[in-house]
Amino acid sequence: MDKPSHISVILDLSPSQWHLSSLPENPHPLSLRSFLSQLLAFLNLHIASKHENTLAVFGAFPSKSVMLYSSTDPEADNTENVNPNMYHPFQVVDSRVVTRIEEELESLDQSEEEAPIGLVGALTKALCYINRIIHPSASQSSGTTSEDPTTLPDPRILVLSVSPDLSTSYIPIMNSIFSAQKLKVVIDVCKVYGPDTVFLEQAAHLTGGSYIYLDRRDALLQHLIMSHMPSPALRKLMTVPTQDKIDFRAACFCHKNIVDIGFVCSVCLSIFCAPVPVCSTCRTKFPIKTLQRLNASRPPGLKPANGALKTAPSTPHTRGPSTPR
Amino acid sequence: MAPRKDIDYMDGESDSDVDVIDDSGDRGKKGKGKAIDRRKKDKGKGKSSEQPYAWEASYTRSWDTVQEDEAGSLTSAVADLVARGRRRRLLAPANAIRRTIIRHLIIILDLSASMLDRDMRPTRFGLTLEYAREFIVEWFDQNPLGQIGLVGMRAGLGERLSEMSGNPQDVLKALSERHKLEPAGEPSLQNAIDMARTSMSHLPTHSSREILIIFGSLTTVDPGNIHDTLDACIRDRIRVSVVALAAEMKICREFCDKTGGQFGVAMNEGHFKDLLFELIPPPAQRALSRAAGAGATNLAADLMMMGFPVRLPDTSPPTLCVCHSELKSEGFLCPRCSAKVCDVPTDCDICGLMIVSSPHLARSYHHLFPVKPYQAVTTLDDTSTPAKSCHACARSFPEAAATNVATTEGLSPLGRYRCPDCHHDFCTDCDVFVHDVVHCCPGCGK
Repeated sequence: MDKPSHISVILDLSPSQWHLSSLPENPHPLSLRSFLSQLLAFLNLHIASKHENTLAVFGAFPSKSVMLYSSTDPEADNTENVNPNMYHPFQVVDSRVVTRIEEELESLDQSEEEAPIGLVGALTKALCYINRIIHPSASQSSGTTSEDPTTLPDPRILVLSVSPDLSTSYIPIMNSIFSAQKLKVVIDVCKVYGPDTVFLEQAAHLTGGSYIYLDRRDALLQHLIMSHMPSPALRKLMTVPTQDKIDFRAACFCHKNIVDIGFVCSVCLSIFCAPVPVCSTCRTKFPIKTLQRLNASRPPGLKPANGALKTAPSTPHTRGPSTPR
Repeated sequence: MAPRKDIDYMDGESDSDVDVIDDSGDRGKKGKGKAIDRRKKDKGKGKSSEQPYAWEASYTRSWDTVQEDEAGSLTSAVADLVARGRRRRLLAPANAIRRTIIRHLIIILDLSASMLDRDMRPTRFGLTLEYAREFIVEWFDQNPLGQIGLVGMRAGLGERLSEMSGNPQDVLKALSERHKLEPAGEPSLQNAIDMARTSMSHLPTHSSREILIIFGSLTTVDPGNIHDTLDACIRDRIRVSVVALAAEMKICREFCDKTGGQFGVAMNEGHFKDLLFELIPPPAQRALSRAAGAGATNLAADLMMMGFPVRLPDTSPPTLCVCHSELKSEGFLCPRCSAKVCDVPTDCDICGLMIVSSPHLARSYHHLFPVKPYQAVTTLDDTSTPAKSCHACARSFPEAAATNVATTEGLSPLGRYRCPDCHHDFCTDCDVFVHDVVHCCPGCGK
């Protein structure tokens, strides 16, 4: 008998991105409302597929992150409007998630500029929550029901992302990825709208999850069920789409260029696209000799502003093999 | 410390296992400090009072090390462990310090006959191998750009067990062949250290050179003057750390003190592991003002050229790799010469460029930007609307202050810990988890 599974779903709820997503110019416009109805069907499916399955939903709003629902904290079960035609757990999930999202969206301030999305907060909260449910501890007296270790769920995180990468959140996202690796948590990513995000691609790759770019967004539910429903144990048997090529190239700290050969400070590991005399992060001065040697090893005619060598792995090998260090 | 011990003793029922708890508490309080010599004294006392002879101890005593309180719950014992972790963390400096990121470590294992002693279960040798494996895995996890080599001390010789390698699997493989490591004869510190030293002599100055000796014997059989070796180590800026399993030896202590390493004597199995694992985080680079602090690498920082490879998928057409000459589909392409290597980080076999993937670099960033320690909330009077539940995991906080938990330093009776930056409250578990694992505050998001 396979273990129950836990999903922490992280919803990227950036109002502006969802507005853009619902515009009719898109090939497959998807509004937040229809997204939620498909998502709730997926959540209900997860709960129904095994009785012990647990669920938590986190929302990443502009500049903040909120836990919208968790199945282990059945706080304030409002039983007044019970729909007798609906399975009760479904109703609890649906109503709580929708009302909490409405509340949070209402409370957003109406300034014209949207703050960056709180994805890192949601990710770290999901990790803390998973840490809590897989290590039920006795240190809190009010705490958890004592659980049999065999019934502890297999945890994973599903990120439904619509916002582009935020370069300032690179380090915290990487830290979250490494802690997910430590906890053996799989991070699945479903990119619902917008361009590919490099950070989440790496998150899915490093934790063994699947990254799915939604081409046909009217088929969201189908994608969710086919590729994010099977538990990690089951995925060994089922072929779940994975990425084929992952870009491990890094962005330099100075110009945010993507570089394939970088110059790295030995003290703080900051990456630069050209030899610099002083590290901008830790203020370390580098010896002149090294600079001369590195500059000499760079092929002539390659200006420091060469970082526009994006993608196209065939072109960047302009540095001749005649210049070994 | 002695009076505290007495109080603890009277608190619990007068069972012999009280001392065991006490030990762990004390160790935490000393923690990271340089109080290893005090710890040493502890050892003497602890040993004499807790168990007269090592062989009288049972195989495992894990059930003895926790103790129930009056209500029969384990809360206080767990809280004590948590407090120990907190205190250790509070002792650590919160601001960013320079650390050596690129490390080179040679582990010298004692493979002399004294390692067959059974005072640690199953034997010193078996336990050393087991912990060394865990150590290597964790070490590479925290120092992804580092390299480890293995040297054994057996029958008066130094033996190279594995070459310096950045791949944990290579190192673990050398340790897995137990039959090749059977202890015999006397150890020779000088031979082994000289072998380790010469194999690190070619390394660049910006990387650290470290030696970790796991030493079970009380003697060393050397061909020459070991103090010459010590001087050579100081000259080569090699940091020597020793974990002794038997007792303190003057020469070992001297090696550690003069090269800036750490010295510790393992009291029991758990302490042995603690001593080893204390050596895992990258050492802070110390200022050169300490004349003898030669073990700390100098401040000669350097700019290094590194290549970030492109990973080929499993589905690409198979080609030969340059490292093993095997036909493989997946691999990484060197950005300079387009050679295919099997694994990163490594040096390209063709053009010598250091190839790393950006996650490897990012794995070290949390050492540079640590999360500030959370402050224990002792009273809720100064906050107008206290949060009902933990900001991270949504566990609800206890309503009233717990009365049965002793108000130890750094421990909140309310179970709340507050981030100094975003002023959100976190529960005990999340506090530990955020600082030890995530390295990113859920409230601030950085």
